[in-house]
Amino acid sequence: MDTALSSRLAVNGDLPPWAAIAACVLVVLSLVVLVAHELRRRERGGLAIVATGVLAVAALLLAVLRPVRIAARESVIGAKVVVLADQSRSMALPQNGKDPRRDVEARVLERLAKESKSARLLTLGFGDGAPAPIAPATADGALRFSGASPPAALPRSDLTSALRALGASAEERPQAVIVVSDGRLDDPGEDASKETLTALGRELKVPIHTVGTTRSAPPDASVRRVSAAGAAVAHVPLPLRVEVGCAGGLSCDELTVTARELREDGPPALLATGLSHLKDGKGTVDLSVTLERAGARIIEVAITPPSGDTIPENDRRLLTFVVARERVRVLHVAGRPTNDVRALRQWLKSDASVDVVAFFILRTGSDAPNARQEDLSLIPFPVDELFTEHLPSFDAVVLQDFDAQPYGLEKHLPQLARYVKTGGGLIMVGGQNSFVAGGYAGTPLAEVLPVSLDSDRGATAADVANVTPAWTEDGKTAPLLAPLRDVVDDELPMMPGANILGDVRPGGLVLWSHPGRTTKSGQPMPILAIGDQGDGRSIALGIDGAWQLEFSQLGARTSGRGYGAMWDGLLGWLMRDPRFEPGQLDLASPCVAGEPAKLRVRAPDSAKDKPMTIEIRRLDQQDVATTKVEVPKSTSGATIDATLPPLPAGGYTARLKLGPGPTTRRDFACETGGDEWADSRPDGDRLRAIANASGGTFRWADEDLALPLPKPAVISAERHVVPLAPPWTWTLAAAALLGVHWFTRRRSGLS
Amino acid sequence: MKRAALLSFALAVVVLVAALPRPAKAFGDVGAFDPRGLLAGGTTGPARASAGARWSWELVQRTSAPARLKPTNVRADDPAVVDAPFLWWSGDTALSPLTPGEIAGLRKFFALGGVLLVDDAGVADDSSSESPKPSAFGRTARTEIARVLPDTSPIPLAADHVLFKSYYLLKRAEGRVAGPKTLDAIVRGGQTQVVFSAHDLGGALARGATGAWENPVVPGGDLQRERAIRLAVNVAMYVLCSNYKDDQVHAPFLMRRRAGALIP
Repeated sequence: MDTALSSRLAVNGDLPPWAAIAACVLVVLSLVVLVAHELRRRERGGLAIVATGVLAVAALLLAVLRPVRIAARESVIGAKVVVLADQSRSMALPQNGKDPRRDVEARVLERLAKESKSARLLTLGFGDGAPAPIAPATADGALRFSGASPPAALPRSDLTSALRALGASAEERPQAVIVVSDGRLDDPGEDASKETLTALGRELKVPIHTVGTTRSAPPDASVRRVSAAGAAVAHVPLPLRVEVGCAGGLSCDELTVTARELREDGPPALLATGLSHLKDGKGTVDLSVTLERAGARIIEVAITPPSGDTIPENDRRLLTFVVARERVRVLHVAGRPTNDVRALRQWLKSDASVDVVAFFILRTGSDAPNARQEDLSLIPFPVDELFTEHLPSFDAVVLQDFDAQPYGLEKHLPQLARYVKTGGGLIMVGGQNSFVAGGYAGTPLAEVLPVSLDSDRGATAADVANVTPAWTEDGKTAPLLAPLRDVVDDELPMMPGANILGDVRPGGLVLWSHPGRTTKSGQPMPILAIGDQGDGRSIALGIDGAWQLEFSQLGARTSGRGYGAMWDGLLGWLMRDPRFEPGQLDLASPCVAGEPAKLRVRAPDSAKDKPMTIEIRRLDQQDVATTKVEVPKSTSGATIDATLPPLPAGGYTARLKLGPGPTTRRDFACETGGDEWADSRPDGDRLRAIANASGGTFRWADEDLALPLPKPAVISAERHVVPLAPPWTWTLAAAALLGVHWFTRRRSGLS
Repeated sequence: MKRAALLSFALAVVVLVAALPRPAKAFGDVGAFDPRGLLAGGTTGPARASAGARWSWELVQRTSAPARLKPTNVRADDPAVVDAPFLWWSGDTALSPLTPGEIAGLRKFFALGGVLLVDDAGVADDSSSESPKPSAFGRTARTEIARVLPDTSPIPLAADHVLFKSYYLLKRAEGRVAGPKTLDAIVRGGQTQVVFSAHDLGGALARGATGAWENPVVPGGDLQRERAIRLAVNVAMYVLCSNYKDDQVHAPFLMRRRAGALIP
């Protein structure tokens, strides 16, 4: 605000404006009549009459107006103009292969500040939601964004929300808005109608001027957009539409597009590939991908870029799909029908959310059914088909009292182990044909069990003495057994023997143990153990008497609910049901490459005092070392935010460890540019259309930035009115001059 | 002397080898099929006492299912009635009304999902018609079961029911007597929980210590007895596997096989 003293003449304040105007009009008419009439006469003294007449009329007018001098102290307030500077990540894209667009934006803001001194500029950054003040001015008043610490880039460029927030604000409304951007906006979109653009400024009712930072697109081929038709459901093909593009003079007629799933164990799995033919620099390709595992899964959609591509970061997108599970598909294989098999089958079949495919061995080679094959309802056990072609389609495999050797499963054990490591679930249930007795010791499958198996020749396979499993401390607090404990508390039925199991493997947890038997290391022998195995999970249940949770005195007292409660927890944990996880892990905000991200941890009360760590492992570069992050102790509440170090672009899996047992897992992706870099082309046309629709002006950054801004307002703070002369002097002068005029006329012979 | 030393050494080796730990092959027979005789309504044991053991023996010989070769009996009012999922109620005389304790015990058993086979051993030899009247046992058993499960009533199980294909493919029900082609059953919550047989299944299975069949089958023939044994095996397999053979993966296969020749 500028303040100055000013001085000017005015008519006396007691004279109404109309009277002053009427007096002036009369004086002008009188003078016209006087001059016209007297100058037409050729007689002596005409000029003198006119001169004295003019003076007399003027004096008469001054006597009426009685002029005054006004001295005032005035303030000039510039119009409020909001400058909205694009803070999205696209402003970090290089400008002509050199500086980022953000630097151009900074220079534009600096020039606007200099060239719009008559206006009050308020510079806000926009991107995601309401605009916010950015980058404080430096000592010289210039705004600078470039340098060591640029402002945090936002994942969106939503101009509509920013303008809406300005309109809804209770603060002084701006009289103009200037938008500085590259034009690559999320909202209004590329295909926004004129009505949409007009509506942008309707609420504010001010012109929106726009300044484009970037004229030309960089040479770049990219995955511009990936859209999925519907939600991702495990085992169900998911159509993906991939839009690709080439700009900046790159020559590409077709681009190969691949979709791969990043997996923890092993290289990314190719899900689909396609060829996109480009026309006018744009092309689409439809892919169909099938994700077999539920939960957060990272899909990489990538192109093979042509030579000359200057922005490799947007050649691939890393997308997180939260895959839902419509139904849990369980393969239930049993070596012989027993009461335990019966109980599990009935529980599986009673759950509408479980889709069970069962194969029971009803007849062995030594059985004599005394019938022709045609009289039997038996079908061959399709072991090869199940464990090769169909295996990935199952969420969990239950091997119950099943001997691998007689049925040709041995050759598929490596495949089954891979299935577990890549995200499948495995439960081995005890019995006389399970674990060591089933020939699993020393096989690849034993490597994915949560317990070790004795592979020595002559190893004892089972302890046939009756046993009541003992709850371990971990078992008493494990969320997956909480439903069972709610039903039976500490009580468990006596079981007819147990399989001999070894020590729990690293990452495993023993929930039930043998009360009298120990492993070779002297630890109580596990009866029920769980463990993470790569991307998947496994459970070892070394008894075949769990059915007595249903049919027994205990079962009768508890209405048989204990059996279902136990399996609900076991299968739910295997399927990573959040109810049965030891903790919860989520991203607090999207992960941006090179910037610290936050993971939100929810731990149960029982784990509050335990050391909690998060292990971050790269999915797409598995030779990269694991990063460990300590979770700070919670001071209040059950939620803790753990800050991750800046991560390079890539897919990651985070595992929350709340002790020695299994972990809670969360996959996430970090991208450098994300959606904002997907299309690197600037869009000056959109900025021009926005300006035109609201009556504003569009300029490029390298043009004159003297925009037609509103004029400042003037406010008087102090005022002094002084008459030029006392009123009587004006009257006296008018009377005297009228007398002189009358005398001149008399001398000329006029009356 | 030398020979005696060698023999002693060989004996010692045999004893040592026998003492070496070997894989245990059984957890006992707690989880095995047990045709437990139900003692209720005044019965003191199955009408065909030897049938249960033979039933288990046939099951073990013909299938992979384990079974108790020495079946047990259990009283309906004994807490142990809920210790296993199967009961076999066999009789040939009229039953006395169930006591409240027996009714309560059976209700607990059914509430847990147990299966009861009511095997009418009192049917007359000449009741070979397709709809013979049940014996006094059969009639009173139905009456007493209606007291235990008052909200349900029996329905016939035709040859397309899973019980007729749980192991063998059977066209009809047969026992010691040919009886009706179908079995009657009480189905609760989609599960067959009570099966009424008017065919004296136990009579076809009963075999004496000498190895001779205790009862001739009516109208007769080895094939009828074989079919009766097969039905008993199917009942056991149904108890252990429930409706496994109704699974979708089996359906097309069994439909094709049904179209083929069956045992006459």
